[in-house]
Amino acid sequence: MNIQSRLDDDADSGRFKAPSGPIEQVRYACALGALASVIAIEGAISITHCGPGCASKQFRALSGVSGYQGGEFHAPSTNIGNREVIFGGADRLDELISSTLKVMEAELYVVQSGCIPGLVGDDVANVVNAYQRRGVPIVFAETLGYRGNNFTGHETVVRAILDQYVAQQAGSAPQTRKGLVNVWSLLPYQNPFWRGDLAEIRRILEGIGLEVNILFGPASLGLEEWRAIPAAELNLVLTPWLGLSLARRLESVYGQPFLHVPAIPIGARATGAFLRQVAEAVEADPARVERFIAREEREYYHYLRDFAGFYSGCASQYKLPSEINIVSESAYALAIAKFFVGDLGLNPGVFVLTENPPDSEQAAIRAAFRDLAPGVDGEPIFEPDGHRAHDWIARRPRIGEYPILFGSTWEGSTAGEIGAPLVEISYPATDEVVLARSYVGYRGALQLLEHAYTAVVRQSTEENPEPSAS
Amino acid sequence: MAINLRTSQAETREQRLGTITQWEGGARELARDSAFTYGCGRDCGPGGRRLCEQSSPYSQASMCAEQIAVTNATIIKDTVVIQHSPIGCASSQSFTSRYSRDLAARRGWKPEDPKSICTNLGEQDMVFGGVDRLADTIRQAYERHHPRVIFVATSCATGIIGDDIDETTRQLEDEIGIPVVPLHCEGFKSRHWSSGWDVIEHAILRRLAPNRPHEKRDDLLNVIHLGGPDVFSPLLNPLGLQVNLVMGGNSLERLADLSTAAATVTMCFVLSYLATGLEQEYGVPEIRAPLPYGLDATDNWLREIARVTRREHLVEAVIASERARIAPELERLREALKGKKGFVAAGAAFAHGLIADLRELGVTVDDAFSFHHDPMTDSKDPRQDSLGHLVQTTGDVEHFTVSPDQHFQAHAALKRANPDFVICRHSGSIAVLAGRMGIPVLPIFYSNDGLGYEGLLTIGRAILRVLPRRRFYQDVAAHSRFPYQQWWLEETNPYALAAETDAQAGLSEA
Repeated sequence: MNIQSRLDDDADSGRFKAPSGPIEQVRYACALGALASVIAIEGAISITHCGPGCASKQFRALSGVSGYQGGEFHAPSTNIGNREVIFGGADRLDELISSTLKVMEAELYVVQSGCIPGLVGDDVANVVNAYQRRGVPIVFAETLGYRGNNFTGHETVVRAILDQYVAQQAGSAPQTRKGLVNVWSLLPYQNPFWRGDLAEIRRILEGIGLEVNILFGPASLGLEEWRAIPAAELNLVLTPWLGLSLARRLESVYGQPFLHVPAIPIGARATGAFLRQVAEAVEADPARVERFIAREEREYYHYLRDFAGFYSGCASQYKLPSEINIVSESAYALAIAKFFVGDLGLNPGVFVLTENPPDSEQAAIRAAFRDLAPGVDGEPIFEPDGHRAHDWIARRPRIGEYPILFGSTWEGSTAGEIGAPLVEISYPATDEVVLARSYVGYRGALQLLEHAYTAVVRQSTEENPEPSAS
Repeated sequence: MAINLRTSQAETREQRLGTITQWEGGARELARDSAFTYGCGRDCGPGGRRLCEQSSPYSQASMCAEQIAVTNATIIKDTVVIQHSPIGCASSQSFTSRYSRDLAARRGWKPEDPKSICTNLGEQDMVFGGVDRLADTIRQAYERHHPRVIFVATSCATGIIGDDIDETTRQLEDEIGIPVVPLHCEGFKSRHWSSGWDVIEHAILRRLAPNRPHEKRDDLLNVIHLGGPDVFSPLLNPLGLQVNLVMGGNSLERLADLSTAAATVTMCFVLSYLATGLEQEYGVPEIRAPLPYGLDATDNWLREIARVTRREHLVEAVIASERARIAPELERLREALKGKKGFVAAGAAFAHGLIADLRELGVTVDDAFSFHHDPMTDSKDPRQDSLGHLVQTTGDVEHFTVSPDQHFQAHAALKRANPDFVICRHSGSIAVLAGRMGIPVLPIFYSNDGLGYEGLLTIGRAILRVLPRRRFYQDVAAHSRFPYQQWWLEETNPYALAAETDAQAGLSEA
């Protein structure tokens, strides 16, 4: 079996560098936190080679209080102690893998290493290789905490699964299936609404007649979809940058073309354009595509028509926001900015992008914020530190604007300072309980409006308490 | 061994107390063998043997001391906590902040995000060291928030690369003029997260609890607790005592008052390091009576406090009035809980206390799960042997499993116990496990809930609130499964895997 080296070409490890300053109000996990992506794949289990608190802390942070998402977390872990630090932990990892196979039941095991094995120099690949040679479905992803965050860790983990599991499936190379697409979009668990959003993305793509490997979450069929990745006609990268390296990889291995759409569509205008773009790339039946779009739009605009009553000020005591400010990872920041500027007619305020994307991607991300509406540009700021994010937003001069703030729980005091309603859309969202809610596509856009303007109404009510009935 | 405050590092519990994390058997046996390990300063009886820890080849993600130390430093007001680490260690900020705001609401404080900053170390720092970044972060922390104290917590990474935190904090303390206090809490250094309590209490003793011998107050009682509402003042004020509630969120002033108190009580002997240290360093007596779980224990605990603080003349009236006050509802709760079987999962002394509460409420407890076990406490006083006390006063616990919050072992233990409900410390994986197995679960977020007379009512009422949720949990249990092999799903011995490994080892030796 030919196991491809994890460091053979674009070398994920070289792409990430920790930003130079300290970080307050942390908005992501470390690379080991990509174990959340493994948990998001039904049938896969992460085996973690790290300190005793590392794995649970990452998952608890990502899923525990952010949206209270829950998730199947009982990850095997070496819980490294003094002995392994001094004498090396490879033997202990070997023992753990072997007992995991005895106790746990999974279709795929993903071994992830954290800071300690990186620093003491455990040869984890060698331990895992021995199991691979015996035909165990197991892969190794080096997710050292000091070498990346859960975004780059996600790419490392997925890359390991693609190279060491998907590419190693027995039998001849799968035939390309007409109309099958792989979707690389939101980062599982990091975005509190990823489950509902991936379900909506799947629904609309199936609506135009495609078959979809959505790959993560309840809307996915799990590893069955992963094994079908090579059969897809197209890789659809539906984020500003995350997953691009994976699509490039798949292009070079399988010759699969990819379509990069930086903005996840929210609302009928963006979603219709998106569906037509995808349809064109896979040459889907245009009649069917238009039928689906027409049906969705009829329903969508029915709701918008009725919402227009509220939005035109029939309840004019509410301060309807005029300026949108966002603190979020770039995928949601871009999607929400486009919707509220492009479709609702808000002015762009401050957009703080928090996930510390690789330097090489930042120019393209910046470009994606141009023309949020015709001739209206946004100027995103890359800033993972909450203290500085606060300063950017609080110190912006505003004359006559009613700001609204989309962000995380951390933005609570900032929102209060500038008198803006806060809509929690990014990590950590500890004041939201999220199950299947979605904010993208057709149906998600309507829920986003519900929640955003409920926040507006509540804030107005709190600020201007009505005199008690006399 | 006395507590050593000369060094900035607290010795781990394994070193000081012989703490173990893996064991299986009956509670009576564990108490007896602990006494033997202790050195037989008390009634060992015949047949005891040195505690023999199990070793499981399989293990699941646990928790680390850093998390306990950092969380409990973070919730001290007017401080900034710096996590000198790669970013992942600081991902706990979100839930620490949530905890802090919830705590503020319960204690009547202004809810605000606590201040914590991560030095955010990268690969370069692993190679060249991170002390410059740390110095810069300490300066920024001071400029941003003007705190009165800055804590600096170490991480596995900085421990391994050997950053000299003590030196850097000393230098920066001179530079900015406020205490900069190191917390040595590398996760790999202790096998149990509760060592994190010792780390923060060690730092408090060394740096934040000055000796004020001429300001002794004979009406001030230090109460060291894990966190939560003040349930102590209502019980102790009638004795003419004021409560200085520390740990679990407090002001620096409360810490500064520690040495002036008449005595110290600790609400969970897992964190008795501070109380023992206060007695050793400042002569503040540590109340060593068994913890106030259950009626008799609470009576005796109050009597001991009264004796040490010379309030014996007041105590019997308080006891009688409290007992009379709760009697009617206690009867009602005992009636409602009659025939119920409970399962307790918590950390050591806290678990022992909850078992005593349940038994006082008439609930049967034959099964318990303790996240670790301390054979002794820092005071070495046998009266603080909470497990021995439990067994003596309420009988054995047939199945007593010590496990560092291992999901697979808890599954086996719960399958064996088949209880009507589970009561557990919130942080573990047990709550979600129990629910998924169809068992109603009561997670205790604030660990003062079960204390004293009122605690019996609090716990009893809470159990009655969760029992009807069986309908929900059973529905979920019927429609989901755990990713264990079938044989493990049927296993009822939490240490079956360890036994198998031992047998194989024995075989190969033979």
